[in-house]
Amino acid sequence: MILANAFCLFFFLDETLRSLASPSSLQGPELHGWRPPVDCVRANELCAAESNCSSRYRTLRQCLAGRDRNTMLANKECQAALEVLQESPLYDCRCKRGMKKELQCLQIYWSIHLGLTEGEEFYEASPYEPVTSRLSDIFRLASIFSGTGADPAVSAKSNHCLDAAKACNLNENCKKLRSSYISICNREISPTERCNRRKCHKALRQFFDRVPSEYTYRMLFCSCQDQACAERRRQTILPSCSYEDKEKPNCLDLRSVCRTDHLCRSRLADFHANCHASYQTLTGCPADNYQACLGSYAGMIGFDMTPNYVDSSPTGIVVSPWCSCRGSGNMEEECEKFLRDFTENPCLRNAIQAFGNGTEVNLSPKNPSFQATQAPRVEKTPSLPDDLSDSTNLGTSIITTCTSVEEQGLKANSSKELSMCFTELTTNIIPGSNKVIRPSSGSCRARPPAALTAVSFLMLKLAL
Amino acid sequence: RRRARARSGTRPCGLRELEVRVSELGLGYASEETVLFRYCAGACEAAARFYDQGLRRLRQRRRVRREKVRAQPCCRPTAYEDEVSFLDTHSRYHTVHELSARECACV
Repeated sequence: MILANAFCLFFFLDETLRSLASPSSLQGPELHGWRPPVDCVRANELCAAESNCSSRYRTLRQCLAGRDRNTMLANKECQAALEVLQESPLYDCRCKRGMKKELQCLQIYWSIHLGLTEGEEFYEASPYEPVTSRLSDIFRLASIFSGTGADPAVSAKSNHCLDAAKACNLNENCKKLRSSYISICNREISPTERCNRRKCHKALRQFFDRVPSEYTYRMLFCSCQDQACAERRRQTILPSCSYEDKEKPNCLDLRSVCRTDHLCRSRLADFHANCHASYQTLTGCPADNYQACLGSYAGMIGFDMTPNYVDSSPTGIVVSPWCSCRGSGNMEEECEKFLRDFTENPCLRNAIQAFGNGTEVNLSPKNPSFQATQAPRVEKTPSLPDDLSDSTNLGTSIITTCTSVEEQGLKANSSKELSMCFTELTTNIIPGSNKVIRPSSGSCRARPPAALTAVSFLMLKLAL
Repeated sequence: RRRARARSGTRPCGLRELEVRVSELGLGYASEETVLFRYCAGACEAAARFYDQGLRRLRQRRRVRREKVRAQPCCRPTAYEDEVSFLDTHSRYHTVHELSARECACV
């Protein structure tokens, strides 16, 4: 572990030096064997250029068309094709949210992966790349929030959800796409048909895809003190059209419907990957990455699995898709487990609350107590900085922070760069703050066994 | 009144904007939401045509008197924004069309 950590730091320093040597380049991190996943559209092109791969891929697609997994695997030819393709770039390719040809990319992904999985796994691997690029959003969000309501008395009274709507209305793009989904979702077709749900979902997807998250998250995850605010928050996606239905289906049936659609299936898998409750981290989220969880939650809006707030309770936040576990038969337990990932998920709840309370965290840097409610089991975890144990991958956040500094083109000189990174590091472990709130991402997956070692290591390196 | 007109003459016709509460607009919607209201204002003297000069003279000579005429160009929107939507205090959404100006001209 220490070695891995050291590696990680070396890698980062190496990168810094390299970027100094050739200012325009931010080298792909091929060194140390880690390479960014190729997207599946590109992987498909690579495969098409190679006769063996392309013929096997064609075979596999024919195998999958209209046949279930078992009959497919019974066929020798199909099995051979699958085995060969596991060695090809198609096997570990990924897609990006909102990329060009996203659907095509996902179709390629699932054409291979449907053959590999059992078909009815509880959690499926996400076809999306781990969130790294959206890290810059956090900085922008932080700067926006730090500018609001300086007086705590005023900010307690103000309605954050109303402020979020104002911010959206004053932005041309946000206002346009918001008005668009509202007018579509609010248009009654006939006394029996409340709206055109399909069009409403499409307009909602456009809103969440094309409007920067600093606007959309603020509307969706605003914090509330009273019911009027919470009702506004619940109404964000116009639930009477996009969410509620005449009947409440069984959650497992709804999941099956979702899984027949490549996009819905992918977004659900991404939600499970980024929001599943993790008892190894302080925040309850995988890799302490709130941003990724909120992103994949918002990514399900506009699909069959659209989640929403179940009522307008200001602080008791419960979100759920429109389904229940009635009529589950002998699958009751699995159904409850599935539903609990929405309704009683400490990661998701902490992420939503942390986002809403972001204002307060940034407003009073002297008292950065973090209001996230933790699951009881998580609460027992010793707090920072006494025990910066392996539960936090601080090393990762150092690196991503520094990388993002580089990406912003602030490549002045080495000492400045390193000191900026170092500052980030120290702000992460303010005494008294008992949580690391900066979500981190996986450009370097090594987890330091003790972040303090990392600090001293970095200081040593700085001294050199 | 003349002084007011003279003052408005200092800026030519163009888009101005105001942040307003929907309820301030007096359209009957009870909403706390703030929208950007763009309107057209400014002077149009430079845009006067022979038409305006001729019409003014004819009016002075009482050749035109029955009808209401305007012998000077007027700063008005030539295009409007499509729609703006908002939530009211009863948790109902409304969409208002052509509330705000998008382009202005002396017409």
